[in-house]
Amino acid sequence: MKASYVIKRILLTLFIFFVVVTLCFFIPRIGVDDPASRYYPAQTAGMTDAEYEAIKELVRQQYGLDGSTFQQYITYLGNLFTGDLGTSYTKNEPVIDLIAERLPWTLVLSVSNLLISLVIGVIIGTMAAWRRGRWQDRALLNASTFTTALPAFFIALILSFYLGFEWEIFPAYTDQNMVAGFDWSWEAISKVAYNASLPVFAMAIGSIVSYGQATRNSVIAVSEDDFILTAKAKGLSNNKVIYGHTLRNALLPIVTQFGMNVSTLIGGAVVIEQIFNWNGMGTLFLTANSNNDYPLMMGIMIFMSAFALVANLLTDFVYCLLDPRVTLGGR
Amino acid sequence: MKNLFRKVTVFALSGAMLLTALLASGCGTSIAERREDTSSTLYVGEVSTDSFPTTFFPWQSRDGVAPTVASLIYNTLFTLDEETGQYEPCLAKEWCYADLNGAPLVNENGENDYDRIEQYYAENDSEYMVIKLTLFDDATWSDGEPVTVEDVYYTLDIATDNTLSGHAGALAWTTDLMHKSEGGVLQTQGMYTFDHDEWGKYPYEEDEHETVMYLHVRPVLGAVATLFSSILILPEHIWQPIVSEEHKLNNTSSELPEAFRQQYENPVGCGAWTLDRVQSSTQMIVLQNRGMDYHIKDENDPTQPLYKVDTIKFMLYLDQNTAIYALLKGYVDMLDVAMSSNYSQLFEEEESIELLKAEGTSIQTLVMNVNPKEEQDSDMRTVLKNKDVRKAIALAIDQDRIITSVLNGEGTPASAGLMLPSQTELYNPEADILSGDYEARVAEANAILDGIYPEKDSKGYRLADGKRLHFEILANPGELELVSYLQQQFQRIGVEVEYKAEGSMAEDTYLFDGNFDMTFQATILNISNVDIMYRSHFVQVDNRSSNYGRLMDEELNELIEEMRTTLNQNTKYELVKQIQQRLAEDYYKIPVYTSNVISVARTDRFTGYVVNPGETVFNLDTLEVLEKVV
Repeated sequence: MKASYVIKRILLTLFIFFVVVTLCFFIPRIGVDDPASRYYPAQTAGMTDAEYEAIKELVRQQYGLDGSTFQQYITYLGNLFTGDLGTSYTKNEPVIDLIAERLPWTLVLSVSNLLISLVIGVIIGTMAAWRRGRWQDRALLNASTFTTALPAFFIALILSFYLGFEWEIFPAYTDQNMVAGFDWSWEAISKVAYNASLPVFAMAIGSIVSYGQATRNSVIAVSEDDFILTAKAKGLSNNKVIYGHTLRNALLPIVTQFGMNVSTLIGGAVVIEQIFNWNGMGTLFLTANSNNDYPLMMGIMIFMSAFALVANLLTDFVYCLLDPRVTLGGR
Repeated sequence: MKNLFRKVTVFALSGAMLLTALLASGCGTSIAERREDTSSTLYVGEVSTDSFPTTFFPWQSRDGVAPTVASLIYNTLFTLDEETGQYEPCLAKEWCYADLNGAPLVNENGENDYDRIEQYYAENDSEYMVIKLTLFDDATWSDGEPVTVEDVYYTLDIATDNTLSGHAGALAWTTDLMHKSEGGVLQTQGMYTFDHDEWGKYPYEEDEHETVMYLHVRPVLGAVATLFSSILILPEHIWQPIVSEEHKLNNTSSELPEAFRQQYENPVGCGAWTLDRVQSSTQMIVLQNRGMDYHIKDENDPTQPLYKVDTIKFMLYLDQNTAIYALLKGYVDMLDVAMSSNYSQLFEEEESIELLKAEGTSIQTLVMNVNPKEEQDSDMRTVLKNKDVRKAIALAIDQDRIITSVLNGEGTPASAGLMLPSQTELYNPEADILSGDYEARVAEANAILDGIYPEKDSKGYRLADGKRLHFEILANPGELELVSYLQQQFQRIGVEVEYKAEGSMAEDTYLFDGNFDMTFQATILNISNVDIMYRSHFVQVDNRSSNYGRLMDEELNELIEEMRTTLNQNTKYELVKQIQQRLAEDYYKIPVYTSNVISVARTDRFTGYVVNPGETVFNLDTLEVLEKVV
């Protein structure tokens, strides 16, 4: 991997980040006549119109919504440069603290989902490819049709209703004491696992099939290559052919998918979080959005974008390491 | 490679076993904690996409359940009874207007004597009126310190001081208090306590040093409203040592100082409840009853605490359906949610569930655009300028039918004066001019329109200069059914209306700009807001008021101004009654219905739930009378 490739990729990522920051700043303000209007207090009985206007101006100052939008943008960029994402209007807490508080809970769901899906998906996909045309393969294809037709939130609702409310096997929504009482004890960790089971299951069903399908297709493509025939001709065992030669060479598309999934780790569970009352980044974003809490909204969007960009950048580098033929511009 | 495969298999099996063990241990913890709870803990379900606050700067707690929680932890001076207009004791036990020397202007019953007040201040031409306040002498903060008038002085003083408070809203709340500080330096003194009355301006009895204070307020009756019932009183001993120009009371610095974090997370209040920090999180807020430590006791038995539950657990549900299931399965005692009437049937056959219906406080109205801007004028909008046409349209609305069909019967017809009968001091039955036999009203409406637009097209719609009388109703998709019933009803008088989709925000709906034919708007008018809302709804103040249809009625404006500025409460009430009649006859905002507030509670752990107009089952009255099921 050449240094020039690395530098170009990093510069491009920084440029995209700048564009994202700019969009994050301006998009919420489009079509909003006066973003501070929802924070104006009521005009009291004796208050004159002039006094009311003065108070409105102070409210705009209080929320940093005075001055032109461009001035606000420059101030925001300046603060961002020093790592200050601002303070939430509604929660009165630094945005970065709020993100730090919620991020681990979202990661519990998304990382569990990612690892479970990857491991099970690759195993199932390899089996389907190796038993091509048999029931294992057909089952995977049918499952793929099923999960494509049924979105994760629908599966989540079904799971919540039956496994949660009706049969009470798993919690239909997050136990309220889980967060308050968390102390890294075995009991607390098991409570998290128990509460996370349905949301992770709901998310993982589709992901497992997706990984399985990607692995199957890639393994089939690779298994028809000449070097696999050679390996078989040399009399190598099935396991050695599958895990030693086929799967390793079939990894590239899976790595790509894994990288893409890593980039959505902190922003991809909004609806699932909502259904299972899981207080993570997704619900924090919904809260910010419904309250027009600009600093919080922008902070979350920028954090998610930065995370996705870094994940994509790392995926590119890993891809490059796995396949040295990959360089910038396809040379 | 076989070894690798074996390793992977062992790893996967170990992982599966660990996960199973984890899940098995977790199974022991039940989210249905309430079902086994024999204590006097009330489980309240809240529905909101907003998480619970984990820090409490009381004045900032504005969204979702936060204001409710803040109001349970802290106290205002009084609470307003919105039906009678009386200020009920809270942190302060009584108040009255006083003369410029502090002598109360009260009658023999100790009540404000409004005739004397009006006469005294008219004669003295004072720039302010004097209020005498008396606090309870046994009120304490949750850390045990006594509440004194110095706490009230500190709170109201810092509210006027934006340099120290950093809270512009607080400035608005105290605009009518003739007191001002800047950067901690007194600019204008408008509050007096024994310790803040250098020249002995007002009298204080020996036992009143900690409990009596005087306020100077603007000479309007509504001046006390926000001072009394909006501002949560803060403990001076907690905040004074740490607040400065650098670290304002409303501290929004990105690195919150530890002292502030401590106070925000562990609020010291004077309310009946304290926050249980150990158990509270973004999904749950737990409040503990202060019991007999709280200065207000049970009225009937002073040896008993005011509130009958020891603990309140607010549980957050992000989705209403989940919350309803949680109630049905017994995870919570009640839902603090106003539900759609469509859900009523779901609970009707449930044995342990009580459906509670409270009268609504908001009136849904059909707003006519009576005064479009010149560039937005049209033939049809010109038609609406005619008050007789508006009267005919108003007469054709059958509120009973709409309530039966659209609200499944869960509502009541509203008066054309836009005041609810529950506002006993203000309601004027003579303004209810759109009730009575519906067929007779339709006949009257047709007679009116026959005189103005007698011509009709082949479908029976009236014609104005050859054009069908056709109006668009700007509404949201949820109001489609309502529009369809209005279509049927207006058809009977030869007027055609159709639905026009509005945007998600008032700014997008062309409302502020007045660019519509008709639209819907909820109006809430009561004793606590008439000073503000009459002006907002019916006077052309600026382009951002709720007077979307730009009504301009000089006589009405004068009545409203007179009502706002009178110093005689009896006169004020009389003027509100006159305003209702004037409004009814303007046919500008026409009532469509008042919707009930429906809420649900389980009766297997507690009974005795009560509801008040506009409130769900979770209210302070319920907390006072709940009885635990043995």
